[in-house]
Amino acid sequence: MRNEQAADLLFAQSRPGCRAVRMPECDVPAEAVESLLPRSALAERPPDLPELTEPDVVRHFVNLSAQNMSVDGNFYPLGSCTMKYNPKRNEALASVEGLAGLHPYQRSETIQGMLALLHALQEMLAEIAGLDAVSLQPAAGAHGEMTALFVAAAFLRDTGQHRDVVLIPDGAHGTNPASAAMAGFRTLEVKSSAAGLVDLGDLAAKLDARTAVFMITNPNTLGLFDRQIGQIAEMVHAAGGLVYLDGANMNAILGIARPGDFGADLMHFNPHKTFSGPHGGGGPGAGPIAVAGKLAPYLPAPLVAKRGDCYTLDFDRPKSIGRVRSFFGNTGVLVRTYCYLRTHGAEGLRRVAENAVLNANYLLSRVKDCLPVPHGDRCMHEFVASAQRLKAERGVTAMDVAKRLLDYGFHAPTVYFPLIVREALMIEPTETEAKATLDSFAAALQRIVAEDAGLLHDAPHTTAVCRPDEVHAARQPILKWTAPAR
Amino acid sequence: MPYIPNTEDDRRAMLEAIGAESIDELFDMIPRQFRLDRPLDLPAALGELALRDHIRQLAERNTAASTATCFLGGGSYDHFIPAIVDFVAARSEFYTSYTPYQAEASQGTLTALFEYQTMITRLTGMDVSNASLYDGAGAAAEAVLMAIGATGRAKRVVTASSVHPEYRQVLATYLANLDMQLQTVDTPGGVLAPEALDAAVDEQTACVLVQHPNFFGCLEEVEALAAAAHAKGALLIVAFDPVSLGVLKRPGDYGADIAVAEGQALGCPLSYGGPYLGILACREKFVRRMPGRLAGETVDRRGRRCWVLTLQTREQHIRREKATSNICTNQGLMALRATVYLAAMGPHGLRSTAELCLKKARYAADRWTAGGLLEAAFPAPTFKEFVLRAPRGRVDQLLEAAAGERIMAGSPLECWYPELADCVLMAVTEKRTKAEIDRMAELIRSVLG
Repeated sequence: MRNEQAADLLFAQSRPGCRAVRMPECDVPAEAVESLLPRSALAERPPDLPELTEPDVVRHFVNLSAQNMSVDGNFYPLGSCTMKYNPKRNEALASVEGLAGLHPYQRSETIQGMLALLHALQEMLAEIAGLDAVSLQPAAGAHGEMTALFVAAAFLRDTGQHRDVVLIPDGAHGTNPASAAMAGFRTLEVKSSAAGLVDLGDLAAKLDARTAVFMITNPNTLGLFDRQIGQIAEMVHAAGGLVYLDGANMNAILGIARPGDFGADLMHFNPHKTFSGPHGGGGPGAGPIAVAGKLAPYLPAPLVAKRGDCYTLDFDRPKSIGRVRSFFGNTGVLVRTYCYLRTHGAEGLRRVAENAVLNANYLLSRVKDCLPVPHGDRCMHEFVASAQRLKAERGVTAMDVAKRLLDYGFHAPTVYFPLIVREALMIEPTETEAKATLDSFAAALQRIVAEDAGLLHDAPHTTAVCRPDEVHAARQPILKWTAPAR
Repeated sequence: MPYIPNTEDDRRAMLEAIGAESIDELFDMIPRQFRLDRPLDLPAALGELALRDHIRQLAERNTAASTATCFLGGGSYDHFIPAIVDFVAARSEFYTSYTPYQAEASQGTLTALFEYQTMITRLTGMDVSNASLYDGAGAAAEAVLMAIGATGRAKRVVTASSVHPEYRQVLATYLANLDMQLQTVDTPGGVLAPEALDAAVDEQTACVLVQHPNFFGCLEEVEALAAAAHAKGALLIVAFDPVSLGVLKRPGDYGADIAVAEGQALGCPLSYGGPYLGILACREKFVRRMPGRLAGETVDRRGRRCWVLTLQTREQHIRREKATSNICTNQGLMALRATVYLAAMGPHGLRSTAELCLKKARYAADRWTAGGLLEAAFPAPTFKEFVLRAPRGRVDQLLEAAAGERIMAGSPLECWYPELADCVLMAVTEKRTKAEIDRMAELIRSVLG
């Protein structure tokens, strides 16, 4: 089924005189714009936007949407991204007018329900983290990392400690070192051991009086829980540093282990992963952070406070790092998080982690014979397979396998990450997939690794486009549409 | 559990395939001492019906702006959102997909982002737009970091007190650990005087951040400000209101080097402050210093036009600590909303919207100051919001009385500007009617008269 109408961009479809929206006549007496504002401030013509009708716009975007894979339509085992089902009730409830229709500068007596919700969310996240205080302000996971590092920097400054180095394992997400740099820290990489855990010798060698923070993702990006965590936290704390937990992989340990209990001083959550907020094709997310009591005074302001039966925004935080975002934060995402947590309760969250880990281990057991998994037969919520043997023997890469999966109707796993596994395919099924889906995914992989190498190099064969030329895109960037020359 | 499809039988079969006795065994990697030996202390689980009731009860303790009359502004506005914006954003092919790393599986999102970038460059007159940041404040802070890198001047940044106080707070937080001096020039007349800026900018200054129309709603003399910044080799960063570009000159036309905005006005619900949309656009020569995603056009193996994420060597997943920014997840769905909004409004819809805002705001300011009970705090021309002063210092009384009439009359400014303790910031969008404005005038007469 080929749809030619899907091909043109909005700008090419523009026809003078078309209108999707007609604004009402002005109902107040008014002079012309030219006499209300200085002429030098005014545009000479209306904005250079396409002229379209409502059906034009709708057909265009509906056709575009059909070119996406999505969690609702496809198994989406993108490692590290926790692409679980996005509950529809949460979408509906977050758009209730009494929540979605609130202006951020309304008086607090007109938003008591919202503040009650956000206050309860602060408390629930603190409990899940095993830490003392929570800020809901950061807008995404990386933003939470950076905010937490700002908090750490403020704490160190305030307590007169000159520590300027953040230690980061080599398997970490790229956001970790990038966030550390934005918070003014130098970064040092800590090696992983052959077992895929933190190399304690290397960590010991790099810990010193300049160590500010050790950032650890646990479970890590190989899908392994670093069982040395108690010892690691002791070492970091003994050196005077703080332990930061990258909470990207919290889905594996909800209700089973708490970062605060295994030594973390501060952490962020990714509600758009762990708590099922939809990913939106690249956001919005949110990045709440939780910290130990001694760091709480430095959290961004405001926090939601409860005074008697009344909820308020607490700006009176003299040691606060200040703001990292305007207004309250990505509240709509936080409302979905609240709905998710209220749907599950303690028992439900534990079931989430159990089934995420069960699904991942099951899929690992089905996949490891055709694609080796270098770091063992057991994992937490995800595992990293390697196409290295396939590449050596037949010239088939992780990318070839990933692209071919699209032909079978599956979204590709995360490829070439973490950097410490060659030809990595990082696979995270999540708890919201059925055994039958995992079986058909494994069967597809088994077929793919046996397929003709040429067929795989040329995959995908069924999508509208195949292997865009990324080098060309970067060398001569075309970042906007321009009208073709006549 | 509502979202877990496996049955007990499935689980048994899976454990058998794994070779594990129990699910508990799968967690052996976690040392016993760190295993939680009690259930989390969380409120009891609710079924869908009970959850719906619970949320409805919470929502009933709030007053939605739509059930009142909203004159609140300050960076978040009660603008009209055409129904097709919600319709498109609710397509689950868009909202349940990930960042478009796998281009073949994400052409819908990539195409929309490319259209977003094109719309923003046309709206602003800038050369390049990224695919969104978190919010207007974050975009302003990221723009400053870009300017520091581009100019190699790692000492000073200048802004003005007429810039949104929260944007300045965010900027100060971002700069706090980078050993930068942030100078804020006072704006006692409601706008930044070009001479004052000229005196504040020196050869060490990386950039100047201004807002136009500014936080008080006033139009800045942007051309003169651009000249003052450029005379010392500093870049000009302008925070603009996207709706104002229906009538106002574009940042690219008056010398902005980087243009940033809070994009909420482009089809995002108020939603108690977010999710919103950080817009960032700049001149071509800064493109490799931009933060965030960029969608670029290319061709595939069969020569077909298509789109990919490009110039990724700027980004954290490639460059790590040397990246231009740490941003990963951005506000993709809000960028999609903005694209649909701008497509629906078109040149004439956006122009009409801006004209309606301007005319109604002017009518409101005239009506509300007519009896002399309130007066304009600043003489400069304004777009859709403005600051009024209650000469006898009765702002709180007015706001309180208005709340009783379900009118959200405005924001008191004292928390940010102690010297404006007798002032209120009020905004009038295209949605406000003559009747609502007249009713507010009546209230002013009865409360302050």
